[in-house]
Amino acid sequence: MQSKLEKVVAGLKTGPRFLKELREFDNLVKAIGECKSKAEEDRVISQEVELLKQRLSDPKLDKSRGKEYMVRLMYCDILGHDTSFAYVKALQFASDSNIHTKKAAYLALTQFLDYNNNLVLLLVNTLLLDMKSDNYLIVCTALVAATRLIGPDLVNAVYPVVVERLRHPNEHVRKKAVMALHWFGQLDPRREGALAGVELEKHFRTMLCDKAQVAWEPGGTHGRGVAQDPSVMSAALCALHDCIKLDPRPYKNLIPSFTSILKQVSEHRLPKTYDYHRFPAPFIQIKLLKILAALGAGDRSAAENMAAVLHQTLRRANTSHTIGSAIIYECVRTITTIYPNPQLLAAAAESIATFLRSTSHNLRYVGIDALAGITALNPSAAAEHQVAVLDCLEDPDDTLKLKTLELLYKMTKANNIQAGHGAGTRWGLVIVDKMMGYLGSCTDEHIRKDIVRKVCDLAERYAPSPAWFVTTISEVFRLGGEHVDEADGNRLVRLIAEQDASLHTSAVEAYLQLLDGESAAATAAPVGGGGGGAVPPPKGARRKKLPESILLVICWVLGEFGHLARRPPLAVLSRLVGILTAHKAASDRLRGCLLTALAKLAAHTGGAAGPVGQALLQKQGSHHNADGGGAAEVAELVHKCLNSQSLELQQRAHELQALLGCSPAVLAAALPVDASCEDFSPQDLEQVATLPFLEGHVARALAAGAAPYLPPEARGARAADGASKGLRFEAYEPAPYAIPLAAASTSYAAASVHDTRSSSAATAAPAAGGGAGPAAPQSAPSFAEPQLMIKTTGGRKWGPAQYETADYGGTSTSSSHGAPAATAPAAVAGAALSKSGGTHHSRSGSAASLTSQAPSERERLAASLFGGGSGGSGTTVISKPAPAGQRQVNGGAAVATAAVGPPPPQQRNPMDLLLDLDVPTPPPPQRPAGTATAGPPGQGITPPQLGGDWMDSLLHAPAGPAPPASSSLAGLEPARGGVGSFLGPATVSNGAGAMMYGMMQPLAPPQQQPGGMPPVMGMSGGMGLNVGMVPPPGGIMSPAPGHGPGLGIGMVGGPGAYGAAMPLQPQPQGWQSQQQQPMSGVMGGGMGLAAAPAAARGPQPLPLQSQRQADPFGDLLG
Amino acid sequence: MIKFLLMVNKQGQTRLAKYFAEFLSTDERRALEGEVVRKCLSRTDKQCSFYEHRQYKIVYRRYASLFFMVGVDDDENELAILEFIHCFVEVLDKHFGQVCELDIMNEPEMVHYILDEMLVNGQIVDTNKTNILEPVQLLEQAAA
Repeated sequence: MQSKLEKVVAGLKTGPRFLKELREFDNLVKAIGECKSKAEEDRVISQEVELLKQRLSDPKLDKSRGKEYMVRLMYCDILGHDTSFAYVKALQFASDSNIHTKKAAYLALTQFLDYNNNLVLLLVNTLLLDMKSDNYLIVCTALVAATRLIGPDLVNAVYPVVVERLRHPNEHVRKKAVMALHWFGQLDPRREGALAGVELEKHFRTMLCDKAQVAWEPGGTHGRGVAQDPSVMSAALCALHDCIKLDPRPYKNLIPSFTSILKQVSEHRLPKTYDYHRFPAPFIQIKLLKILAALGAGDRSAAENMAAVLHQTLRRANTSHTIGSAIIYECVRTITTIYPNPQLLAAAAESIATFLRSTSHNLRYVGIDALAGITALNPSAAAEHQVAVLDCLEDPDDTLKLKTLELLYKMTKANNIQAGHGAGTRWGLVIVDKMMGYLGSCTDEHIRKDIVRKVCDLAERYAPSPAWFVTTISEVFRLGGEHVDEADGNRLVRLIAEQDASLHTSAVEAYLQLLDGESAAATAAPVGGGGGGAVPPPKGARRKKLPESILLVICWVLGEFGHLARRPPLAVLSRLVGILTAHKAASDRLRGCLLTALAKLAAHTGGAAGPVGQALLQKQGSHHNADGGGAAEVAELVHKCLNSQSLELQQRAHELQALLGCSPAVLAAALPVDASCEDFSPQDLEQVATLPFLEGHVARALAAGAAPYLPPEARGARAADGASKGLRFEAYEPAPYAIPLAAASTSYAAASVHDTRSSSAATAAPAAGGGAGPAAPQSAPSFAEPQLMIKTTGGRKWGPAQYETADYGGTSTSSSHGAPAATAPAAVAGAALSKSGGTHHSRSGSAASLTSQAPSERERLAASLFGGGSGGSGTTVISKPAPAGQRQVNGGAAVATAAVGPPPPQQRNPMDLLLDLDVPTPPPPQRPAGTATAGPPGQGITPPQLGGDWMDSLLHAPAGPAPPASSSLAGLEPARGGVGSFLGPATVSNGAGAMMYGMMQPLAPPQQQPGGMPPVMGMSGGMGLNVGMVPPPGGIMSPAPGHGPGLGIGMVGGPGAYGAAMPLQPQPQGWQSQQQQPMSGVMGGGMGLAAAPAAARGPQPLPLQSQRQADPFGDLLG
Repeated sequence: MIKFLLMVNKQGQTRLAKYFAEFLSTDERRALEGEVVRKCLSRTDKQCSFYEHRQYKIVYRRYASLFFMVGVDDDENELAILEFIHCFVEVLDKHFGQVCELDIMNEPEMVHYILDEMLVNGQIVDTNKTNILEPVQLLEQAAA
């Protein structure tokens, strides 16, 4: 103040300009104080920033006003404006000789910068000098600045000086030095980085014990001598507390010191100046209690040693003032944390009763919190406080209510253990109910998320009946679906699937009602052309849209059990389709699930001839089905999907159409009614795993000249001999055009066998390698392939090493058929194993493919493939598993391998249907080499285990165990085959993201993909059959790897799309860490539909690993 | 530990902000303060002085037109923090004599210095008023 006066006087002498500048700060404060709005404030500060820029860049800057400038800068910073223009100036002021300027500059720097800022480097010298200053105020200032600005890189430069300051005669300096060391300790808590080998703890102990002696000198009312200030001890306590939290073991020997200090503090033996409202040094007491809690946790003898002092502290504190309550509360927390002591617990319970009876919200809050601690040890403790707890639960205060909910949540868990299931259940239900009520009104996202998690947890644990669970979880989805964990959706579906028909019916009805509500809202809006009410009506706006997670569940349930609904199938259909009206932005995944649901619904309600089937199959625009409200939309949906950019959607749509075109027997086999929980025995699965039905096929392939399967190990050895280990730089040879075309039919069959062994160059020429060549007409498109492959696969996948290792002889057959225009989906298996999404890209070979990107090539391809318009029926591609081992199709790219041998491949291909089973690419190792051949038609189906080929859910013939189904399919095929369409080589690719046209494959260099690939492959054909087996309960959704076979399969069939999907994504991870696969991925993956039997692999864990080693998955995933 | 301390008036204008241990960018701070303050101002006397926000627990106390808000982690004793705020205000009062919002606005650096004596690294190191004010008063004398 005085100095200000002097300045004013000086200002009067120097003139008006100075006076004006002198008032700048006051003006600023006044302006800020008078601001009425944020905008006004921003304007004031912007002006100030301009002014400061001008002032600070002025060469005639008045240094004596450095402090004022710094304070003004801090205002700008606090109010949210950038002050970086002044950082350098602040650094300069920090070395100013005026203590005010210096302090203000340090303060400003600690506010502006953090320790990662490079400017701090410029400050280090100043800082070190100041730490050695004679003026203890400056030393303190520098030490405080060090606690904010020194980072790991600079610790070692400053550390020695700070340690020296621990012996400074002034206690303020010692205190600050301890805290600076505390900061350094936090930078490197484990002492393995910058502070490796430094023993900070030693200093802390010294400072503590040193001071502690002071504390226990009675009558320590004096102040200052050297080493006589409890405040230094208090600082050391802070530092030790953090060390102890990290690892209490080395500090057990300090327990006597701590208890002794606490005893003396609580006995009022510190100077009176430490009192706060007549409580002796309460903050030190609280810190000590925290330390004791950390030391006594789970340590019986330690807990016994501190019992007496805890008791004393508890007794001496009282609730006459809040700070007394704070100490009591801390005591209770300590008592409930350390090894339980019955007497202490009883005393704590008494104290809590006082809190809970209080009228103060704050005390009740901590009372509830403390009660939670006690009930964890003694569940019955809460009983006597029931009334108080319920009052808190009803309290309008959100914080209190939340805290109480948390308490109840903890209590239910404890109850379950102690009091038996009955009590736990009762509590659980009450709490779930309360939580749901709260969820409905709460808007804070963090809290909602937490509540959703808890409700799901409790509901799962205490559900009195499946029906209750279904209702509750569905409600949770509705209220807070955006926070529901994907796994909960899976669990819900699984649970529904396992129940009986009455539950299925009630679930269907419940979901239909949910949809009724939605569509009522949606249709109230003007439904414009094409059915899109863009603006939801007020009612709809109020009612939240159903989140996607629940819609997926609904789709699955209505698809699987929609036929049980009390309303006619068409009404169900219109509700399902109505989802899209209400959710314009529905994801492809949802659309995919919807398609599958429609297919299932149709299959269960009379097939193609049923009302739903008719609606699905009708041509767009022709509404012969006037009564069904959704008929028009359905047709539109299907039509859109047929031409969708999304391969998966295309595929599903094509599959749907094709399936409905099949005979009822096939349809029933593909989409069985309520078969999601079928059971497989491990034996069945094992049997499937050996792929017995492929033997014939393999034999044929061998006869035709294909190379025998070599297990990966052998392959590796071979590669080792000559082959290049590094990258191969020379280009692959172009594919030979010369390969015989299959002139005969309109369609081409491409079957090629690659023999990778042959020189690397050989890759390009698929035909050449295998004897199969001749037999299999090469598909025209194949030549295009190389380029494509490159694109799709990405350079890395090409690695020679992989190439070499790849199996040779992979056969892939893809058939393209010329189906009437749209019908035939080409199969592609894109396995996108990409980590991210796991989306598959499959392109349909049909004309639809034109729409997709990469027009020129694609068109060319399409033209070459389909141009002739094969007349045949639409067929799909089937890929057969090549000789067993083969599967490795390629690499990032897919390699297709060729099909097999016999000349007229076409005819044989077994299923013309949609089935695509892709080649099971996976684990070569496991399959016995010989196995694979597929003999008879039926073989198209690959055993589940293999790859996930089948993922595609639908179609899946029952894989393994389900020979029957497959056979039936097989039967059909031939007939179709006759039509001739079928051709070739199916392709499978799994590469990351690779999409291939069916044909392309052959060319692709067979690269081996890291083991991982296989799973996804299956996209191709499709939708098909689900084989329904779901393994027992667990199966559906939970990709528990452990389950091995059961699971894998389960997925497939089961819950169709939804459920199945889950496994997919995880795969990538799965590979890496096998067991964990879980669901996480599920939703994420675009593929909802396809279920990749991730699990399929389960059964063969060992092999997997070996495979993995052979080709690191890493490649794929990047 | 204490993560931050805010002084905000009842119009929601920030008067002082101090962060410990974690460094937030200007924009992050602005967003955080906005949310914390909005929640705080919407509470009534009938509610307790604590609430949760993101990973923080906020403990606040009102003095006339000024709110003191302290963000702490899960480990802190809420009642103790509540009393710490009061202790801080008592120290300010002793230093300024009948402290008011304007005092804080006029000499924010003093408030910071006092706070630096009481809180370091987000830990309460000293609540002894004599200890706290000694260096501060010394500094004022140095000014003369």
